[in-house]
Amino acid sequence: MPTYHAHGAGACLALLGTLLAPDSIAKPIAFAGGTTAMVEYGAGTMEEAQVFFAPSHRWSVGGGYLTLDSDVDGSARRIAYARANWLVKRWNLEGAQANVFAWGGAGGASGNGFSGRVLAGNAGAQADYETRRVYASLKTDFYDSSEFTHRIDTLQLGVAPYEHEYNQLAVWLLVQGRTYTGDLYRGTEWAALLRVFKGSVWVEAGVTEDGNLQSMLMVNF
Amino acid sequence: MNRRIAMSTLLLLILSTSGRAETIEVTVNGLVCGFCAQGIEKRLRQFPATADVLVSLEQRLVAVALKADTDISDAKLTEALEGAGYAVKAIRRTETPMAALREQVKVGRE
Repeated sequence: MPTYHAHGAGACLALLGTLLAPDSIAKPIAFAGGTTAMVEYGAGTMEEAQVFFAPSHRWSVGGGYLTLDSDVDGSARRIAYARANWLVKRWNLEGAQANVFAWGGAGGASGNGFSGRVLAGNAGAQADYETRRVYASLKTDFYDSSEFTHRIDTLQLGVAPYEHEYNQLAVWLLVQGRTYTGDLYRGTEWAALLRVFKGSVWVEAGVTEDGNLQSMLMVNF
Repeated sequence: MNRRIAMSTLLLLILSTSGRAETIEVTVNGLVCGFCAQGIEKRLRQFPATADVLVSLEQRLVAVALKADTDISDAKLTEALEGAGYAVKAIRRTETPMAALREQVKVGRE
């Protein structure tokens, strides 16, 4: 059963990522008084746009819009949500930082398998760890309604070819593994990504093993 | 007599001015991502006393150049940096000009 093997490998890497305590993934909280806007194109299976304002570095509030298009049965979901994010724990080390975030929210969802709009709840968590040369993050995002349940787990592992300095161009090479529940995608969707950021603009782009575009743009202001 | 008083006053003024910190250098833990550290500069530039800000990931350094005859207390600096999400390990008040610090950071990179 190759699908199970792929899931097993993904789970092992996810566990490794957690143990390594990874972070240069998009964080749901930028800094006190900061706003983060993010758009992601997830290889045709998911697209998401988010805006969050952080009154404190410990929490932020905002909203997002998520589209999910099944690669398996053609089902489609459109979810608009309001959400709050919490920084559960941060470790500021001499040459590293690690974080645990959690979030929860609710919104309305529509889809092609049911009529009208239904209430959808959202909950998730992220653990990340980064130095100036290595980075890892593990994120889980859960959506539940009377019509569907989906969980999206994303693992990212990265290395930087050089240690960037503040306000210099930062370059990261990443491998991303993503799994979806609820018949959105079979197996683990692997992608190779190039991430660059400078100042308050962050861009990452790459391709999945199926040859689809995976990309993300994030801005802090 | 008046001349002696004026000279003493001038001398005291020079001594007090030369003893004032020009720069506050802060050692910070968790400083690994330039994108994430934008909040530090944004927050520190909000202090009326701030003339310039330097952030170095390599040196784990956040430096604030002060405007003439102004200061930022250690407590306020710590509050600002912790509010940005970082851990303050040490605060030093120096007379090192910001230009010299920038040069040190640049040399450290080479």
